Amino acid sequence: MPSIRNQIRDLRAARSMTQQELADHVGVTRQTVIAMEQDKYSPSLETAFKVALALGVALEQCFQYEPRGKR
Amino acid sequence: MSNIFDMEPSTMPILSYREKTLYASLLAEILVYGSYVFLHRQNSVDKVAGMIAAVIVLQIVLQLLIALFTRNRVTDERDRLIELRGYRAGYLTLAGLMVLSLGMLWFHAEAHNMNFENHRLGLHFLSVFFGMLIIADITKTATQIVSYRRAL
Repeated sequence: MPSIRNQIRDLRAARSMTQQELADHVGVTRQTVIAMEQDKYSPSLETAFKVALALGVALEQCFQYEPRGKR
Repeated sequence: MSNIFDMEPSTMPILSYREKTLYASLLAEILVYGSYVFLHRQNSVDKVAGMIAAVIVLQIVLQLLIALFTRNRVTDERDRLIELRGYRAGYLTLAGLMVLSLGMLWFHAEAHNMNFENHRLGLHFLSVFFGMLIIADITKTATQIVSYRRAL
């Protein structure tokens, strides 16, 4: 299981934003947004900040770090 | 078109621009290299050069067609990461095959007193090295495709 989890899907849905719209805002492909939402890809710090900015939330509201074995 | 609730967690049906180009590369490699392996029993320098030229031309044509019919040609950090992963797999394959072939060559030379003056030896080496490049190239592309299918 990944140690970095995110709330992108929920935050995006709350803002009625499509995956493509978020991808366009951040400058990544829609496939990358899908991979992030499924917790299969942990973005770079720069992209993480861009995602949080696009969703209008603080970074820690969007991404959470959970050390392995703590859950 | 995507909506806010699309994409079930286990499915990723749409292909990105990079992924399409990878499938095109794999198709070109299999078509050209496959015909080289199965159709040409008698190898020559010209045939090897022809195959390399054919795969380059076919790749250019396929990439042009994909670029023509793909509106969104964005590539990002994940694409670059997957590209690097593919190159690493390709390099390790090539290095492994190189060590294996050097070992076999040494064994062959020791056991059978190989004649290095043979005029066909150069062509034999060319075929072996070309074969190693083919395997490494296909490994690279296949690794990238698998990485995309597994999301990374």
